[in-house]
Amino acid sequence: MKRTLSILVPLLVVVVALVVGSSGSDGPKTSAERAQAIAGTVRCPECQGQSVASSDAPAAVAIREEIDRRVAAGESEEEVQAALVSSYGEGVLLNPPGSGVAGLVWVLPVAGLVVAAGGLALAFRRWRPSTAGPPSEEDRRLVDAARRRRRAGP
Amino acid sequence: MNAALGTAGVALGLAASLLGVVTLAVGLRSRRPKLLRVGRSYAWLVLGGAVLATVAMERALITRDFSLQYVADNGSTATPALYNVATLWAALEGSIILWALILAGFTVGVVVKFRTRLTDPLVGWASLVMLVVCAFFFMLLVGPANPFTTVAGAIPTDGPGPNPLLQNHPLMAIHPPMLYLGYVGFTVPFAFAVAALVTGRLGEGWLAATRRWTLLAWGFLTIGIGLGSWWSYEVLGWGGFWAWDPVENASFLPWLTGTAYLHSVMVQERRGMLRVWNLSLLLSTFSLTILGTFLTRSGVLDSVHSFTESPIGMWLLVAFAATVVVTVGLIGWRGDRLRSPGSIDSPVSREGAFLLNNLLFAAFAFVVLLGTVFPLVVEAVNDERISVGTPYFNRMTAPIGLALLFLMAVAPALPWRKASGELLWDRLRWPTWAGVATLVGAVAIGARGISPLVAFALGGFAAAAAVRQLALAVGAARRQGASPLRAFVGRSNGGMIVHLGVVVVAVAFTAASSYTTSATYTLAEGDSATVAGHTVTYEGMNPEDVSPQRTLVSARVRVDGGQVYEPALNQFPNATQTIGTPSVRVGATEDVYLTLVAAPEREGGPVVLGVIIEPLASWLWVGGGIMGFGTLLAAWPTSRRRREDDPVPSAEGGRLPAADVARMEDGEAGRDDVPVPSGVG
Repeated sequence: MKRTLSILVPLLVVVVALVVGSSGSDGPKTSAERAQAIAGTVRCPECQGQSVASSDAPAAVAIREEIDRRVAAGESEEEVQAALVSSYGEGVLLNPPGSGVAGLVWVLPVAGLVVAAGGLALAFRRWRPSTAGPPSEEDRRLVDAARRRRRAGP
Repeated sequence: MNAALGTAGVALGLAASLLGVVTLAVGLRSRRPKLLRVGRSYAWLVLGGAVLATVAMERALITRDFSLQYVADNGSTATPALYNVATLWAALEGSIILWALILAGFTVGVVVKFRTRLTDPLVGWASLVMLVVCAFFFMLLVGPANPFTTVAGAIPTDGPGPNPLLQNHPLMAIHPPMLYLGYVGFTVPFAFAVAALVTGRLGEGWLAATRRWTLLAWGFLTIGIGLGSWWSYEVLGWGGFWAWDPVENASFLPWLTGTAYLHSVMVQERRGMLRVWNLSLLLSTFSLTILGTFLTRSGVLDSVHSFTESPIGMWLLVAFAATVVVTVGLIGWRGDRLRSPGSIDSPVSREGAFLLNNLLFAAFAFVVLLGTVFPLVVEAVNDERISVGTPYFNRMTAPIGLALLFLMAVAPALPWRKASGELLWDRLRWPTWAGVATLVGAVAIGARGISPLVAFALGGFAAAAAVRQLALAVGAARRQGASPLRAFVGRSNGGMIVHLGVVVVAVAFTAASSYTTSATYTLAEGDSATVAGHTVTYEGMNPEDVSPQRTLVSARVRVDGGQVYEPALNQFPNATQTIGTPSVRVGATEDVYLTLVAAPEREGGPVVLGVIIEPLASWLWVGGGIMGFGTLLAAWPTSRRRREDDPVPSAEGGRLPAADVARMEDGEAGRDDVPVPSGVG
């Protein structure tokens, strides 16, 4: 009982803290925040792998301005991204699309992890010990005897 | 003169490597110890060749010998001395010289360290493999990456200098050598792994022989990656420290597999298991360094179709393929001898935790590799261009990172073979409370969002687990009369300090990437802006600073009414775009990161200023330093090995010979740890 309690109490504290901590994090966002978030998912065509949110290259600045304009006009994230894809191609989005051949990039790691974890679980089953169980009285006597011999010195 | 000297060095290196390979091969085949001893001299000759090539190139750079194509392309009379020396690794050809130099150094290190065992076939084969790798890199220097070609036609009087981004911060002078020491260092365990496979001596001997080498390589790689990240924070001007850029990924991949290896190798040392797996991890770590070099140096990332433009791409790809084929073939050939004798009794045990650790690290490496090469595959297959960037990597790796943090807390408390719930709870009780306290504290100071909070909680949990482990081990060592410093030395204590460093990095990474506030302001002289509780005041421009290397304009910005910071823009003579130099007020809780986005268009006009408030960012580098320090402690030679009959305190109050304790206790500690008194019998 005491032990159950000593595990339950920290668990309860964690749940309460996480509930408190997750509230208030997703209030209504300002359009500047939304534009910033979208810019983080759009690739800067002139730089290696940077998003337009983190680059001051001219092309990045131009795309950022377009995002600001579209967000201010009330477009959703999907609409803005679709508009950018139609003018710059699929490669402008840092997140690969979820469908088609490109969708494999999302599926493969998850599938790989599931297969590997399954393999590991199977391996553990196969490894199930054949000689289980705590040491017997005889084992203990043997160890004690060895210990006494050692203590007595060579 | 420099060209002749350098070419001679490269030729010497190549010839000595090839001759050394032949000599060792003949010696190993015909079992002539004399030939195996001669191998040592070849290693020294290879090093001599590499040193000669390096000296020739440095001399050419320092004396501004523009008759060399490399100097004409990358040197300049205006480059300051430090960056001039560092220009050796500012472009492809020079960096291969550095690679060859470090590789030759490691090869000599091996023959010197194992000088008494040179006739041992294991050491002979390992030296042979090292020399084969040396020969490959010298061949690159002779063929596709020849740094000593001379300028055709008129010799220029000046050059453009290295890429402006590479001459903007002193970190550029140490980051690449550190990284290369890490990359190249993994060649040593790789060579011994191949040697073990060839000789069929697949026991634990080669593991013990390479333990320190692997740790050293891993430590250098860690520090190299950390410095690279620090450099991008200090130079690139967007406040970021990790962009999942292919170059970064290329260095991170061998780090991931190397880290997995450092953990799983303990299972083999202790239980004789996972032999194939450990070999595979080492072999893939080495292959990944070659693949990484291919990805970043062949131009393949710009487009699949561009890599044929540079011949080195083909060479590196062939080397990668050859490594994979040969090593997989060797493992297949030795498959029968690699059967592990032991078995794992319970998933809830130290070895079970290491297996899970390896699963997670392998998955991590797979995600990073897939994300890096996937655009290439799609382009090759479908002729369609897609990007895989930061949002993908963050989403895919965050759960793996959290799981690893959890494991890092639990695993050190797990005993080998089998754990009971009671024992585990007993050991984890106060680390759990530390994690809970961290979580509550984080919520109390206003941190929000599920995944950052989970990361903080797990960080506190893992840190406390590491501290508990350290306190027990150091306490036990102190009671045995170890000096306070000596008590911290050793593999498991060093490992726990590395864990603490990882926690610091993880918490800082989470905070800095989750709670960063950034804004851009157009400010007239004397105007202020307030962002996330910090006030920045633009006080005017400094006079333009013109030097032959660059023209620098900087703004004076007062932060919170205190000190003045000076973010700047550099115009390099041969670059079209300006390069920013951010100015950062480093703080223990948060950094105020200032960038000059645009200088005033007219005298006294408004300036465009970028302000980024980044919590805990400076702890990233502190954490990296702690990891490096921990690695050093783990690799530090202990003054003497614990002898079989050294007395250690036992739980019964009496004294037991160490060997008995090691055999009997379920032991939290590994073999060369100081045993923790934890209930014998």
